[in-house]
Amino acid sequence: MIVFVSALTFFFVNLAPGGPASVMRFDVTAEQRDALIHEMGLDRPVVERYADWLGGALRGDLGTSLLTNEPVAQRIADRLPNTLLLAGAALLLSIVVGIPMGVLQAVRRNSWLDHALTALSALGLSVPVFWLGIVLILLFAVTWHVLPSAGIASVGKDSLGDRLAHLVLPASVLASTVLPTVVRFTRSSMVDVLVQDYLRTATSKGLAPAAVVFGHGLRNALIPVTSAIGALAPRLLGGTVVTEAVFSWPGMGRLALEAANGRDYPLVVGVAVVVAAIAVVSSLIVDLVVARLDPRVVG
Amino acid sequence: MSRIAVLSAIVLVAVVACAVAGPLVWRVDPIATDPAHALAAPSAAHPAGTDEIGRDVLSRLLYGAQLTLLVGLAAMLAALVLGTFVGAVAGFYGGWVDALLMRLTDAMLAVPAFFLILVVVTVAGTGASTLVLVIGGLSWMPVARVVYGETRRWRVAEFVVAAESLGATAARVLARHILPQAVPSLIVSATLGVAYAILTESAVSYLGLGIRPPTPSWGNMLQQAQQYLFTEPSLALYPGAAITVVVLAFNFLGDGLRDALDPRTRTRR
Amino acid sequence: MLRSARSLLTILAITAVVAACGPSQTAAPSGAPAAPAGAPTYGGTVTIPIVADPTLNPWSPNAFVESLFVNRILFDGLTKPGKDLAPAADLAQSWTTSADGLSWTFKLRSGVKWSDGQPFSADDVAFTFNDIVLKPDLGAQNRGNFSAVKSVTAVDPTTVRFDLSRKFSALASYLAYNAGIVPKHVLQADPLKTNSFNKGTPVSTGPYKVEKYTSGQSVSLVRNDSYFGPKPYLDRVVFTVVPDANTQIAQALSGDISIMILDDKAAVSRVKSSTDLAVVSRPLVQYYWLALNQTDPRFTDVKVRQAFVQAIDRKAIIDSVEHGYGSVANSAITPALKAYYDPSLSSKYPYDPEAAKKLLGQAGWTPGPNGVLQKDGKPFQFTMDVGQKGILEPVNALIQQDLKKVGVVADLNPMEWNAYIQKVVVQRNYTATVNWWTYPSDPDVFPYYASSAAGKGFNIPGYKDPKLDDLLTQGQTAADLAQRKAVYKQVQSYMADTLPYLFLWYPEEVDVVSSSLKGVPDLGLRDAVQYIGEWWLAKK
Repeated sequence: MIVFVSALTFFFVNLAPGGPASVMRFDVTAEQRDALIHEMGLDRPVVERYADWLGGALRGDLGTSLLTNEPVAQRIADRLPNTLLLAGAALLLSIVVGIPMGVLQAVRRNSWLDHALTALSALGLSVPVFWLGIVLILLFAVTWHVLPSAGIASVGKDSLGDRLAHLVLPASVLASTVLPTVVRFTRSSMVDVLVQDYLRTATSKGLAPAAVVFGHGLRNALIPVTSAIGALAPRLLGGTVVTEAVFSWPGMGRLALEAANGRDYPLVVGVAVVVAAIAVVSSLIVDLVVARLDPRVVG
Repeated sequence: MSRIAVLSAIVLVAVVACAVAGPLVWRVDPIATDPAHALAAPSAAHPAGTDEIGRDVLSRLLYGAQLTLLVGLAAMLAALVLGTFVGAVAGFYGGWVDALLMRLTDAMLAVPAFFLILVVVTVAGTGASTLVLVIGGLSWMPVARVVYGETRRWRVAEFVVAAESLGATAARVLARHILPQAVPSLIVSATLGVAYAILTESAVSYLGLGIRPPTPSWGNMLQQAQQYLFTEPSLALYPGAAITVVVLAFNFLGDGLRDALDPRTRTRR
Repeated sequence: MLRSARSLLTILAITAVVAACGPSQTAAPSGAPAAPAGAPTYGGTVTIPIVADPTLNPWSPNAFVESLFVNRILFDGLTKPGKDLAPAADLAQSWTTSADGLSWTFKLRSGVKWSDGQPFSADDVAFTFNDIVLKPDLGAQNRGNFSAVKSVTAVDPTTVRFDLSRKFSALASYLAYNAGIVPKHVLQADPLKTNSFNKGTPVSTGPYKVEKYTSGQSVSLVRNDSYFGPKPYLDRVVFTVVPDANTQIAQALSGDISIMILDDKAAVSRVKSSTDLAVVSRPLVQYYWLALNQTDPRFTDVKVRQAFVQAIDRKAIIDSVEHGYGSVANSAITPALKAYYDPSLSSKYPYDPEAAKKLLGQAGWTPGPNGVLQKDGKPFQFTMDVGQKGILEPVNALIQQDLKKVGVVADLNPMEWNAYIQKVVVQRNYTATVNWWTYPSDPDVFPYYASSAAGKGFNIPGYKDPKLDDLLTQGQTAADLAQRKAVYKQVQSYMADTLPYLFLWYPEEVDVVSSSLKGVPDLGLRDAVQYIGEWWLAKK
């Protein structure tokens, strides 16, 4: 699958009009342009270049970025942890906030609280991400000065607190794309569980409602929620593109945008391959977690 | 159907009416410039003010509604057609066709769509038709799954088997007997699909890769308004609010339809 | 809360440093940033935003506009733009030209050291040019600026000679324009692709050197202790990578940025409302133009070009899109070049659609049935390719509407930037397009107008005119300033008459400066950074 993605991206991106940004500038003469294209080996046939690339990739060499001349693997390694941090924080936030919210809604279903939270979730799913990000920057950074507006850390004042402060807004904005779905799934699967017989039995045996909800219900309710979260992983990763653009977050999304706009062919392919690999790995992880939660899914 | 879903339907009908009839009533050219009256406050001549080169914002919103809705609906239709085809074929024939197509569906579901959109739009160039194909091409998978499930379920039903034994072609069996069973789920998918497509269009336009100006769409209006966030936030407010309201309405309507059409959820409520 | 607590700490820290520096406790009254009312004090950090990771090598083809700032601080050239934009001494102390004008000799400053302690010498200059700029297969950035240079010879450690193939009186100006000298002892093996240099901690001669390069985040500079000039006041200069324009403004408003170019002139009023920020503007060596492809017979008629320039309301473009920061252009020489600019031409073509229609009529274009002009039964209609960058989209929309008023139909074709360059610049497959030129602070604009550059060099419209070629060559070979001034006055009026490009306007740069930052000279920010040793921070 990953080789397929690499081939597809490689040939596809080479079809794009234009060329590497260093060649496609206004103030470069035709003579310089030819020299650079030859330098970068872009005057060779695409098939030959792909064969070279694949040969290197199998040995762990993803090629050299045309825009910065650094190894593609290194450029990705610089940015990947930041994206994982952002996506991980957003996921954690969605779980920590989303599951209790969903449980609360299930327990109090059809109350005004339930309806209000449902409406809020729907709103969260409907607001354009970048718009929400901009509004939050205007409020929290420009008007109230309580949080930094962008970036991953302040220069020279790099501390854990500082990093967390930088993480709050982007993680919240990114979480807004998946949180409502987590809430929704938790609510409906919790409702399913709550109306089932064994819970009624547990309640009738005189167990306290809280013990029933958390002891018996939640574990079973979490199985479909975990699968749902697994299905959300690609959306989360895709959401980083826009979120990183709004918050100047130095991650994979911004790298992908730079690479595509600058026609950095090896970098585009490298990013695509890594993103595909993450998608594969994350779905494996979800399968494993589901297996742990659900004794019926074995082997 | 819930009150909120009915309300959403009314809102959507109103928005569509504005998009279709609005430009006929409010006859101002959305690309006519008037730099002498740039960034004007709302007035009788310009009920929603003007943008940075004096174009009428109301007219741009109305024409923008047309394009935004059109892109949303067309992308949804593309996804619907593609998804139905893949799901129906996989579910009907089973075997290796099933394995291949459903593996493809799963793989596509696992790909973060936005990274792909980025690459495709860079290659294919920006524009409405590209956007429709790209968004449609990356959002057909849920439809395929729904149709696949329904096809598998009804494939073995007596009336289907009977029709087949009477010599009906596969296409006819699918079209006449199986797919109609999937219509309720498809309506729900389609409604939610429009919401997704509109949001995606605005995000792609925000990155400067969407509908090409000067033709207005809500997404590219937002992108242009970005520049004026600090001075004229209302320029960003109108299209931002318009997108939110329409997407919200589609989402509520989709949920309402799901509850109304799916007996399982109805009993639970 | 976090933020304000932290900035309080910063202020305390700065105060402590200032206090430690001795008796210079006289508080500077806040005022215009360039007026050093109080005595300069040492210490503090200045933060400047850039839009992407820079490449720290002035000759790398990947050194885009975000790299200019940093490279101009790090790498001294032989000359630098003076505060009047005329070339001033930098690594070279003085220079002389041979009688035939084909040989320039530069006397270098002695005792200059690289930031790694190695001595700087004429060998480094010869290396920079002979082994980088003049090597065609390397495709070094800006090498086109030095096409007149044949070779560079290190005569002795402090003397270097440039031999030219033709007269080139702008050489000293061009050496001040992104032509930093790089160290031979570090880059000998691989001049343009040494990553530890380009993306790490390069060896340089400027007042500051790189302390840390953090990809995607920042590049911080500290004082270069081996710098030949006076000790700079600021402890640190930090370039932060902030791609989004709104975020830059938000950061300026929240005090995280000390000085920046406000590309987004719409935000001026918002920035002005902040008491901690000052807004200054000044002309740039830049002009916007509309190129009409000269391979299209409709545009070879000068009457058509003159009609277009009167049909376009350029003042309205400046007032709306540029928010008033700019002036109408009628030639390639900008008002920033005070010694050469001819202000009398500014009113040559006022906005006059009626005159435009009349001229078009004289050129044989008559109104058709639907108001669209036509000639031989064909309507006057063409496509304008629009690069999606900066303000080009609204500018094209305005031009389209202006042309429509005189009966000319221009269809807009917006394109993603990279694809646009491919179509318009590389393939020259376009009919009409709007863009801009920025050039070194010298009136020698030969490369953008020479007939020999039509179709492949910087002559985008493909305009060929022997008389203009001749005038521009006279400018390049002029013996003294008075003669150059006279030639370029002629060049300007001839350009205004013939309109090789349709000149639109000269933009101004708007800078946002923290009111505590002092000593910044009255230059465009990209030039002012070359005087960063004079910048200092006043106590708040």
